[in-house]
Amino acid sequence: MRRKQLISLFMLVLGASLLVAAMAVAAASGSTARAGHAAAAKGGTLKLNESNEDFDYVDPQIAYRTDDWAMLNTVGMPLVGFPEKSGTAGTQLYPVGATAFPTVSKDGKTYTFHIRPGMKFSDGSPVTAAAYQRAFERTLSPKMGSPVGVNIGLQDEIVGADAFFNGKASTISGISAKGNTLTVKLTKANATFVSQMGMQWFTATKPNLPYTSQGVQTFPSAGPYYIASRDPGRSTVLKRNPYYKGPRPANPDEIVFTPNVDPDQSLLQVKSGASDLDLVGNVPTSSASLAQQYGVNKSRFKVGPTACMSYISMNNSRPPFDNVALRKAVNWAVDRPAQVRLLGAYAGKRTDQILVPGVPGYKPYNVYALKGADVAKAKQVGGSAIASAPEINFVHTTSQSSTNRAQVVEYNLKQVGFKVKDVPTPATTFYQVVGARNTTYNMTSNGGWCADYFDPYDFINVLFDGRKIQANNNPFYSYFNNASFNKQMDAAAQLSGSARANAYAKLDQELMVKYAPVVPYLVINDHFLTSARLKNWIYSAYFGEPYFNALAVG
Amino acid sequence: MTHFLIRRIFWAIFLFLVATIITYLIFWVIPTNPAQLAAGHAASPEFLASIKHRLHLDKPIYIQYFYFLQNLVIHGSLGRSFLNQQSVDSIIGKDAPVTASLVFGGAVLWLSLSVPIGIISALRPRSVTDRLTMTFVLIGISAHPVWIGLILSFVFGYKLHITPIAGYCNFIPGTAGAQCEGPVQWAYHMILPWITFMILFAALYVRLIRANVIETMSEDYVRTARAKGASQRRVMIHHVLRNSLLPVVTILGMDLGLALGGAIFTETVFNLPGLGNQVIRAYGANDLPIITGVVVFSTCCVIVFNLIVDVTYGFLDPRIRMS
Repeated sequence: MRRKQLISLFMLVLGASLLVAAMAVAAASGSTARAGHAAAAKGGTLKLNESNEDFDYVDPQIAYRTDDWAMLNTVGMPLVGFPEKSGTAGTQLYPVGATAFPTVSKDGKTYTFHIRPGMKFSDGSPVTAAAYQRAFERTLSPKMGSPVGVNIGLQDEIVGADAFFNGKASTISGISAKGNTLTVKLTKANATFVSQMGMQWFTATKPNLPYTSQGVQTFPSAGPYYIASRDPGRSTVLKRNPYYKGPRPANPDEIVFTPNVDPDQSLLQVKSGASDLDLVGNVPTSSASLAQQYGVNKSRFKVGPTACMSYISMNNSRPPFDNVALRKAVNWAVDRPAQVRLLGAYAGKRTDQILVPGVPGYKPYNVYALKGADVAKAKQVGGSAIASAPEINFVHTTSQSSTNRAQVVEYNLKQVGFKVKDVPTPATTFYQVVGARNTTYNMTSNGGWCADYFDPYDFINVLFDGRKIQANNNPFYSYFNNASFNKQMDAAAQLSGSARANAYAKLDQELMVKYAPVVPYLVINDHFLTSARLKNWIYSAYFGEPYFNALAVG
Repeated sequence: MTHFLIRRIFWAIFLFLVATIITYLIFWVIPTNPAQLAAGHAASPEFLASIKHRLHLDKPIYIQYFYFLQNLVIHGSLGRSFLNQQSVDSIIGKDAPVTASLVFGGAVLWLSLSVPIGIISALRPRSVTDRLTMTFVLIGISAHPVWIGLILSFVFGYKLHITPIAGYCNFIPGTAGAQCEGPVQWAYHMILPWITFMILFAALYVRLIRANVIETMSEDYVRTARAKGASQRRVMIHHVLRNSLLPVVTILGMDLGLALGGAIFTETVFNLPGLGNQVIRAYGANDLPIITGVVVFSTCCVIVFNLIVDVTYGFLDPRIRMS
């Protein structure tokens, strides 16, 4: 009995003392934290949250998400890149690790880069052309599982890359590195090659960085910062590269990323100054009140466009959407403003074209109804084919946002007279369903594309070249394949400069006016609340983030 | 006692096997294509085939399960995350202490609160104290932990600046890249999570203890003790509490085991990098090895805690081990 009494008493005292002790240290710790903020005001540590997510990979040759790339740009030294400038100036490539843009042979197949002399990795070792050769090798090595093959098909572009990619050669015969000279031989002329080199895969990489499909977590880098520590799911810390002597800004001493924060808590942390910014953006439902409180792009609430476009995909390969009139009718029927409203205030700009602002060749035009569904016009364009069209299998993932989008589109289609069957599909099987060529799916609202590099090829050719359609695992779901348009795309891809831009502007318009393979509806905005101390905001539409190295916390 | 112990251990092993079979079937066979998930939805057919082979998905289901069990039991391996190729073992090894610090800290608080309150409430049924207690119970059971957590961090973290809004600090210093660490910062960051986690369980336990005590007080042996002239204090401690708290031990064992599998809501709200937070992210990303790993770990925790409770119970109550 006595033991029981003692246990109860002990537990009561222990519980109470645990709370009291924790509360007691709270005051002391709170003052420490506030003092810490004062120290940070000198420009020390930039604190960044990532609500509900973390970097997938930080290995430069495997990472693919935009946030991953925004961080890697802070530590990396690509051959060419985007300057830390706002607006259109920030979308113009410039030589970063190279002294100038490459010299190109007359046949357009050989590119020679001269690497900037004197550059060093964060461990003090020199950066030479071999560092870029290694980047190509790690990107294309079968031991890495890099997404490059699927996404840009680089293995077909460089001489000897295919053999290396398939494990039949130990080096890429078309790439040679001598001192500070890097030579790349292509299988055929490719006007997008320099643009592709702006991707983070082709950043200076230490020649002995190992091949690993798991990716490295920390590694020597040649940009303004390096990854000092990385604990997946918990934190990633960047520190200034002591050997970086270039012109790119390196304002904070340290940049700390805290992943997987609850979005509401993250907003409170940024409001209170415990964090400086949430990379993922503020909670959409808070945008309107934040805009009211701070104004848009006036003080702490920032809104900026991304190079990402959302679209509703139609399966062009089977009825009813093998009928172009019905595809056009759907483009008239979809209520684009309603789709944008689903995403909250300042979610983006309505669109009915494929290219996004900032990409060469983008010329705004208006073919379909941007201000709302035009049911009468849709019925007129679709004509009697609407009534005789088979039932539309509308496939969407079971997430709330996806379901909401689908419900609005399905309502729009029914208004016009289409018969629609709602097919909610778990994300685990969704891509199998829509990614198979002989699929039964007709339509999905789960479509979107962000620029891998700022070139119209990355939108038009990548999304609509039907010759790349395979039996399964297709990453694009319109199954649009038009021989005439394929030829036009091929021709445009060979052009350069303003001729290229004009050709793609024409293709962009022709695609929607003549074929309407998808329903583009939104150029996505990013919106952020910043802490009161955050300064020097330079936003990159390409990364959909500010340049972290340029941000100042003084 | 030895027989009882052996029986219980075999039962635990059997439970483990059944649980892993069910877990494996749910997550790896119906209705997903794990190879597709691992390879990414844009993978080439060749890459997909190589992933299928690597994961043994080209073999019959019983062989797949055998490999899974072999990896788990012999190599102690739960595989690698589809998302970032991290070892699931190391992820669980890193996250489990965070969940444990939440669960055990919370358990100390909820027991410290619920045992005395439950007893007092039972001794004075329908009194003002009892009604206030039941109001607390009702609120504790009804209010969702996410709401409680958000309100607490808004009031105490954001408005009053008494506690952090969210976040976690390691108890043991020395982690690379850690922004805060050590016992003081750890406790400071855990105040609100503990309270949030405690509220629901404290409410449930107050109700449980109150009901048990009231029920035990009406037992014949209590009446007999009173008739024999035993003091109220002696009756309460020797006869009532000893018997009425026994079921609490059972429930506590199960609750602790279950909660160690991840206090999902509390961890999510306060950004604690524990198993609950991990499993929620894994679910969003269809990261099957992580989900399976956490479920297996959780199952093991429940089995081990149940075993401990059963054995303890056997010691405390001879009728159990004789049955």
